[in-house]
Amino acid sequence: MNILTHLKSGAVRSLKAWKGVLVIWILIFSLVSLIAFPLKSGLKSLIGSSMITELLYDSINADVITDMSKGLASLIPAITSGFLLVFFLGFIMNAFLTGGLFSILGNKNSKPSLALFFAGGAANFWSFILITILTAVMILLTASIVGGISFAIVSAAGSGTSAPGATGKVIRIALIVVALLLPILILVADFARAWQVANNEKKPFKAIGIGFSTTFGTFLKSYPLMVIVMVVQSGFGALVMSKLLSLKPSTGGGVFLLFIGSQVLFIIRIMLRAWRYGCVTSIMESPSPCFQRSM
Amino acid sequence: MKRTVSLSIICLILMQSVLSQIINKEPLSSRQTYYRIDAKLDPEAKTVTGKMEAYWVNKSTDIVPDIQLHMYMNAFKNNKSTFNKGVGLNLADKKIDFGWIDIKSFEDGKGNDLLGHMTFISPDDNNPDDQTVIKIVTEKSTKPGDTVFIVVQFETKLPQGSFRTGFADDYFFVAQWFPKFGVYEPAGMRYAVNGGWNCHQFHRNSEFYSNHSVYDVKITVPVDYVTGSGGMLINEVTDADGKNKTLTYRAEDIVDFAWTTWPGYAVFTDEWNHVKITLLLPHIREEQVERQFLAVKNALEYLTKNVGPFPWPHLTFVDPPTKGSFAGGMEYTTLFTSASADKLPGFIHLPEMVTVHEFGHAYFMGILASNEFEEPWLDEGVNSFWEERIMDHYWGENSGLIDHPLLKIADKSMSRTSYLGSPNRQLITNREYSWNYPQGTYSMMSYNKAATILYTLMGIIGEETTNEVFREYYRRWAFRHPSGKDFINVVNEVVTKIHGDKFGPDMNWFFDQTLFGTGLVDFKVNRYYNSKIRDFKGIISEADSHRFVAAVTKDDTIYKSTVELSRPGDIVLPVDVLVHFDNGDSIMERWDGKERFKDFTYTGTRQIEWVQIDPEYKIRMDANFVNNSMTDNPDRVPIRRYTNKFIIFMQYFINFISL
Ligand SMILES: [Zn+2]
Repeated sequence: MNILTHLKSGAVRSLKAWKGVLVIWILIFSLVSLIAFPLKSGLKSLIGSSMITELLYDSINADVITDMSKGLASLIPAITSGFLLVFFLGFIMNAFLTGGLFSILGNKNSKPSLALFFAGGAANFWSFILITILTAVMILLTASIVGGISFAIVSAAGSGTSAPGATGKVIRIALIVVALLLPILILVADFARAWQVANNEKKPFKAIGIGFSTTFGTFLKSYPLMVIVMVVQSGFGALVMSKLLSLKPSTGGGVFLLFIGSQVLFIIRIMLRAWRYGCVTSIMESPSPCFQRSM
Repeated sequence: MKRTVSLSIICLILMQSVLSQIINKEPLSSRQTYYRIDAKLDPEAKTVTGKMEAYWVNKSTDIVPDIQLHMYMNAFKNNKSTFNKGVGLNLADKKIDFGWIDIKSFEDGKGNDLLGHMTFISPDDNNPDDQTVIKIVTEKSTKPGDTVFIVVQFETKLPQGSFRTGFADDYFFVAQWFPKFGVYEPAGMRYAVNGGWNCHQFHRNSEFYSNHSVYDVKITVPVDYVTGSGGMLINEVTDADGKNKTLTYRAEDIVDFAWTTWPGYAVFTDEWNHVKITLLLPHIREEQVERQFLAVKNALEYLTKNVGPFPWPHLTFVDPPTKGSFAGGMEYTTLFTSASADKLPGFIHLPEMVTVHEFGHAYFMGILASNEFEEPWLDEGVNSFWEERIMDHYWGENSGLIDHPLLKIADKSMSRTSYLGSPNRQLITNREYSWNYPQGTYSMMSYNKAATILYTLMGIIGEETTNEVFREYYRRWAFRHPSGKDFINVVNEVVTKIHGDKFGPDMNWFFDQTLFGTGLVDFKVNRYYNSKIRDFKGIISEADSHRFVAAVTKDDTIYKSTVELSRPGDIVLPVDVLVHFDNGDSIMERWDGKERFKDFTYTGTRQIEWVQIDPEYKIRMDANFVNNSMTDNPDRVPIRRYTNKFIIFMQYFINFISL
């Protein structure tokens, strides 16, 4: 099967898994609400019945921030701990949700049900946490190795009179190298998780090993596929971030529309994630010599 | 004898040179000092050796026994200089990093050797180790109208770039590099009680003070170096061996002469009306050329319109490369330095802001040559005020500094935020010499509080009156040495001329509280309420009985509406108060701010919907704008919008971290 077929298969699988996607959206939204809504009421009480918000229509206003600095400073500990809480809960929750998602994406024969989603999430939970952590460590390690090498190059060149802009070039090359290596690590994590769900084995280290062997066994197919998926994903993310965050509705109705629109887009974002998992699962489920071996 | 004669001829030539007009049609200043310098850069040794022929004219009625000159470069000589002392910085270990200036010979116009008459003095702190001011007792005291000629051979060792002068590899910014006359202040000038030299040592937080002079400067540098200066290039000659070139510059009526040279500069030129503008910047920043020229032209236009003409036909400015960033953000009137970064995105108006600011100093300190040592607010504060007005005028009222869809910052917010956000905002007044500001308050006080004070003044007297104040200040004090007192006198005169006694007999009450006080401005709406006025209801006593009267119900209920304001801040200022009613009416009240509280009451069928003190946010010294207003229906839309965006951001963040 060629890349296009896997992309298509991934798309079909993710659409079928819409219930799981909705569950993920609801849970993430609830989690974020834990911090967003207290923050909102904190701001409301700082502003009280003042009309100062008229200065906030165009942008955050430095004068207003200055005047509210004491009040805002008192919110900071709450925001920080809230942020950490959301970070950790989000990480843990995602391990569970990813388990669920892979379960309903991979099972071609049975209908993707919510029961299967939750069962899959629960069954793979600990192992998925470990795989996520290991992958994160690998990504950080790769980034710091590349970063360290480029720093060494820059500082070695810096002792002489280096051409202007050389530092910029080195940084750009380093970023490109990391960007090229990233799909590989993501593929490893995805194959590992897909394999584990498919084989019902809770062995994260073995799964990662298989992730590596499958990645390189199907490299010519899976790498370009992952690059395409990641370009689509990050393009979408960048578009949403730049466009949505710069929208400035000035009426209550406008803000509500922004809210609805942004949530629909976020659901699509989760759908794109499911699409990636679906594509990887599709590659893994297709018969391939390498894959046979690793079984 | 012969020697004396030849030196006298030199003196004559010098006099003629200063009298001849090369740049401006008429002398702009009284030209009490003149400098002719022949200087050569040694790029390896990082030195500038020079011969300086200069004079000072005694325009006072005093008999003056000495002359005093600044030797700024000795601030970088060691860790005992007043500049370095007590800073606790680790000075560099290498000889090459230090800076100093040596006088090789010092003669008067008659060829008398004055080297033996030269002593280092420390008028500010008596530091015996400081060598930044020299005093030379002349052969004869200088009578009124007489001129002291000097011929000085000097060698300046440039320091590793710091505090706007020095070198970095092959980059040179040569400022404060030659022996420079102090300003002789006769009794009655500025704050002088007795005549004397005003020649302060070089302190870390101090700038400069000089007479307007003519400069004829020859600079010899290697041929491949690109050079810029505060003068107009008269000619350029390459040596016979082709190694060096000598550039001859002439500058008229400026207070300081600096220059820069570096092989890496790209040179661009542009014009604004009569001014030919030259920009030197590193090649990597060529994409910022348009931004830089736009900034300087906007500043020229705005200051010409609202203050006075820029009289010189030439102007050079420099955006130093990253390694020369020590030179950034400094002013030498017809030469100034901007500051930027390679690849700086367009929404950050940093280079524009620095360019506008440093150009502005051509007015506030260049033309209006105040004493930066003693009254830093008069140049930095006034100039920051104009910089912020220019930035917000041309780059957006709310986006003068940062203009991004996600974040806009007005330039005027920077001074208010720095002043009101400082924990030390009430430590001291602006009456201090620049180096006396305690606990790091120099910048906050001289730049930021002073600029905020001027904005507040403009909020009270109006924008056009403010411009007229500065036009008059320019007319009266251009190419002289105004003091803060002189500036305030102009304010008083112009304000009373335009507004009569609307603000009192003068504006001293304003400056006494703000510039020379430590109090805060704060006004607050405590509350407002609307209560129904009821018809009479109850008992009326009659001859020998009591009569009950019932209320008559009316169609229109009458309300007594009350606004209760207070003044938590100590500073008394008049403010506008806008009261808005539910029938759409608005009443603009004026509160003189004298009492600690103020009530306004209204009777009628309408009810108050909201109240705003200073609705246009003109009293920018107000320490808290949030408590300036009150309404029944606070507008939550921006808060909801920010919450919404926070949610979006957090959702994508969680999505991002979960692989
Ligand atoms: Zn300045």
